[in-house]
Amino acid sequence: MNSIEIKDVSFQYQSNTPVLQDINLTIKKGEWVTILGHNGSGKSTLSKLIIGLLKAKTGQILVNGIELNPETVQDIRQKVGIVFQNPDNQFVGVTVRDDIAFGLENLQVPREDMVERIEKYAKKVNMSDFLNKEPHALSGGQKQRVAIAGILAMNTDIIIFDEATSMLDPKGRNMVLDTMKQLRSEGKTIITITHTMKEALLSDRIVVLKQGRILKVGNSKDILKDKETLEKSNLEMLLPLRILYDLEQTNYSNERIKNLLWELSLSV
Amino acid sequence: MGIKFKRVDFKYQGFDEKGYLALSNINLSIKPTGEFITLIGETGSGKSTLVQHMNALLTPSSGEVDILGAIINQESIKKKKIRLNPIRQKVGLVFQFPEYQLFEETVLKDIIFGPKNYGVSEQEATKRAKEIINIVGLNESYLSRSPFNLSGGEKKRVSIAGILAMDPDILILDEPTSGLDPVGRDELLKVFFDIHEKLNKTVIIITHDMNTVYHYAKRVLVMRDSYLVYDGDPVDLFTKKNIEHWNLDTPDLLKLTYEIEDHLKKPFKIRPRTQAQLLEMLKEVEA
Ligand SMILES: Nc1ncnc2c1ncn2[C@@H]1O[C@H](COP(=O)(O)OP(=O)(O)OP(=O)(O)O)[C@@H](O)[C@H]1O
Ligand SMILES: Nc1ncnc2c1ncn2[C@@H]1O[C@H](COP(=O)(O)OP(=O)(O)OP(=O)(O)O)[C@@H](O)[C@H]1O
Ligand SMILES: [Mg+2]
Ligand SMILES: [Mg+2]
Repeated sequence: MNSIEIKDVSFQYQSNTPVLQDINLTIKKGEWVTILGHNGSGKSTLSKLIIGLLKAKTGQILVNGIELNPETVQDIRQKVGIVFQNPDNQFVGVTVRDDIAFGLENLQVPREDMVERIEKYAKKVNMSDFLNKEPHALSGGQKQRVAIAGILAMNTDIIIFDEATSMLDPKGRNMVLDTMKQLRSEGKTIITITHTMKEALLSDRIVVLKQGRILKVGNSKDILKDKETLEKSNLEMLLPLRILYDLEQTNYSNERIKNLLWELSLSV
Repeated sequence: MGIKFKRVDFKYQGFDEKGYLALSNINLSIKPTGEFITLIGETGSGKSTLVQHMNALLTPSSGEVDILGAIINQESIKKKKIRLNPIRQKVGLVFQFPEYQLFEETVLKDIIFGPKNYGVSEQEATKRAKEIINIVGLNESYLSRSPFNLSGGEKKRVSIAGILAMDPDILILDEPTSGLDPVGRDELLKVFFDIHEKLNKTVIIITHDMNTVYHYAKRVLVMRDSYLVYDGDPVDLFTKKNIEHWNLDTPDLLKLTYEIEDHLKKPFKIRPRTQAQLLEMLKEVEA
């Protein structure tokens, strides 16, 4: 089954410059897809189209087989959770607790279940001590953790993480990546937007955007080896591969080192 | 002179009486020129709070901060003894969230706001803005756009441009590379490093990217739970300290070096600081 089908989609904001053009992409249920691309390439815009916050100028988007339109958008939002790039855009409540509760109220989760879920997910992101605090009076990384907890608590089929780990400390980042792995094993469909190639390596497939168009789609390991594609969209290869490529420029002959770098380059 | 913290505590006042202690007994001395410092540490440890004391946006609850000769404490601020404008001009701070810094109709107006405020003519400020928009990896077409209708990374770049345009003596950047694409990240880090190296200025960067710390920092400050727990050399930090305890991680270059050593069953004589250095070391390895 397909979770998301995007067919011939184009989009522009008020001005006349096209922001997304000829986007075709199908994401299967249970798949983990990463969207990569330079700043301003259209990643966040694409994610907002998928949840119906923005409306495509042309083309069609289907979520779980249902076409996105004004009649279906409310139902579809119950199936798709999104962690926004800026966590401040996520906050509506007076306290962290209210904020996590907000998404659950929309899903009409029963009261007891709600309390339990809030506590479970606050704990998962290590924010249990902050439930009574104002979201705006948190540090950057704490805000990101709360935003993530709010979406996880909703337990949607599809989850989009728009640079959701960009301000976390290394340990917190790994914790969230472990959570994503767990979600995959539960059969959720995951879309991550990131500038960190190591995170992209965890996913099944990578979509590379450049100036609003899909430059390439492929198996994650293949894309992360594809120097030319990565360079074209301001991305980079992982460190062992960068070194291997540099060594090869110099007629380096130590096969043992080369094999080792190759092995290390794409091991998760 | 520089910036000197003397036994600084800081409490955020909340709904309840007890407040929230974000800085505890900070003692720290930063030179007015020639430093390149990274400030790191776990989520919520107090990094953003600390740097907001460096240009008097926050006032210590107790203790004092000496900013280029101006003593900032409860008393001096209450009695309005301090002229804050010159401090803000000399110590430029880029916020963690660019949204806190962007408020004008156009990107141009946002960038020239600071310089104009500090007496630069509109014409001169506009000229600077046109140069700086390119330095941060955008182009002149962005100057007439609204700062609110930009992508996350584009906003970040504009917020950095606004502070660079003020040409501060000391430059402080709170997570300037989060949200930048890898090429932009490297280009801007180079811009910051050049400001330090060519103009001999002091630059302070907050980051969660251990690779940035390892590659660039001459001095690292680590915070944990409102305390400053390390002030010293980056190589020592990553090779000798219990960094996991501080929620930090080993930089990629060091991890790779360890893995190669493991495989060769032989340690290298030195620890490479850059990719180029490791490359040279690998060329020395016998087949
Ligand atoms: N509200 C808006 N109005 C007009 N143009 C916009 C708006 N938001 C974004 N844009 C433009 O659309 C393009 C795509 O923006 P988008 O936010 O989708 O990029 P992105 O790939 O998410 O970038 P980043 O990595 O910087 O977050 C950019 O050129 C941006 O300037
Ligand atoms: N306006 C505020 N009111 C109350 N408490 C605050 C406020 N801002 C920050 N805090 C608290 O102070 C502590 C330090 O916050 P600070 O923003 O300095 O952390 P940080 O080290 O910059 O973290 P991060 O890496 O997540 O950005 C946090 O526990 C935070 O919850
Ligand atoms: Mg974005
Ligand atoms: Mg911070």
